[in-house]
Amino acid sequence: GPGGVAVPRAGLKKYVLPPDYSGITFPERMKLKFMDKVPAVPKVRREPRQLRDIRGPSQQATDFTQGQYGILALGGGYLHWGHFEMIRLTIGRSMDPKNMFAIWRVPAPYKPVTRKSLGHRMGGGKGPIDHYVTAVKSGRLVVEVGGRCEFGEVKPFLTQVARKLPFPAIPVSRDSLQQMRQEEEEKRLNNQNPWTFERVVTANMLGMRKYLSPYDLRLKGRYWGKFFLKHRV
Amino acid sequence: ALSASRCALATVPLSAGWLPALQLVRRGSKAVTRHWKAMHFQRQKLMAVTEYLAPRPAIPPRCLAPRKEASEEDNGYARLLRRQVEEVFQDNRMIAVCQYNSMPDEDVVLMRRYLRKHNIEVKFVLNEIVRPVLSQSKYKNLLPLFVARNILLVSPETKAKEMLRVLKRVPQVNLLAACIDDTILSKQGVENFAKLPPLEAAQGQTVGALALLPSQTSSLLQCGSAHLTALLDQHIRQLQAGETGSPAEPTPAQGLGAH
Repeated sequence: GPGGVAVPRAGLKKYVLPPDYSGITFPERMKLKFMDKVPAVPKVRREPRQLRDIRGPSQQATDFTQGQYGILALGGGYLHWGHFEMIRLTIGRSMDPKNMFAIWRVPAPYKPVTRKSLGHRMGGGKGPIDHYVTAVKSGRLVVEVGGRCEFGEVKPFLTQVARKLPFPAIPVSRDSLQQMRQEEEEKRLNNQNPWTFERVVTANMLGMRKYLSPYDLRLKGRYWGKFFLKHRV
Repeated sequence: ALSASRCALATVPLSAGWLPALQLVRRGSKAVTRHWKAMHFQRQKLMAVTEYLAPRPAIPPRCLAPRKEASEEDNGYARLLRRQVEEVFQDNRMIAVCQYNSMPDEDVVLMRRYLRKHNIEVKFVLNEIVRPVLSQSKYKNLLPLFVARNILLVSPETKAKEMLRVLKRVPQVNLLAACIDDTILSKQGVENFAKLPPLEAAQGQTVGALALLPSQTSSLLQCGSAHLTALLDQHIRQLQAGETGSPAEPTPAQGLGAH
């Protein structure tokens, strides 16, 4: 008939070498450690709220240590014991302990959060400690997973966990994280807009600092409260 | 309380710009909230102005030719197969290229066995390996043949007749062309080649044809002495027959003098 039909042909099979898992050190326990609800030495003194532990980019646990894949936080938030249990059980259920391991990159809940009893008016002092939380800033790794496995195997349950966290999070691998950072850097360099937030703030053009915070010098318009604005350069 | 909200900040050394005398503090909620805090309109305007602008090249990338990522052919297996193909082309005198349609396996085995008896080997080749090998050797004109599934029938001898006989029995394998002694022959050419007599007979024929003229020349030269010899023989017979009658010795001497 008109027009040739592509006949399927078999070409030479290209054999791919299996991945090399030689440089991986397994920890003693493969599954995630159980995290306490309350620290061993509970806090006597009630602490002020200090929401600055949510604000801005993270300085801790931003890179991989032992594992190859992990969950990256793209926003700030508090993780309480329920979240820890969810993570621990979901990952423990979905991973293969013979070939994979998982480690925590966040400490157990340490920060006391107070709550006043329901239905009372304001005043009467600070409420008692209700529960403990861990503060997580954007750009921090929450858990790391590694072992003799590929990203494709690990990604489904990591996305499942990431969706349930109180802040936006994505599963990453070492390569994908590096790729993300490279893209950010490229975006920053090839930005055609001559006016950047950083430039306006440092020079205080048009008196914009009246409407901005001193922290914006450091945050450079990429962070707003606990949110991380990914689309901004 | 009011004076506290309007206090000027202590001067902090900055590279450029000046510090505002007034700052808006203690207004609305705290800096970090659980909900998305509404931005001041001026801040919204600043965020809008300082958005990312992607670079726009002069020629859009879809107008340019796509970059062909050269696939690395350092596959050792491919190199081995190419080397094998090169050896096949060097070692054998007759290489027949046939189209191969799928056959039952037992028929393939039978065909191979029959061809083996005539010292013809059947080789299955992959086009993606043969094509680069041929394009760089002297067999460039065989390139158009290697399109669909092919097999090569190779042999150090040139037994075209037997090969054609076997292939006639097998309808799924069709001869396309053959390269016999570095000569490319089409299907018709192979059939004609098969009809030729074997080499020894052809050599004998050529020798006979070449030796025809000299043999004629030699027979012409020997004509006179052969005639004389025949006459002498005849005479001897006559003499032997006439010995019982009268002796006739002077007549052969007269015959000799005349010549």
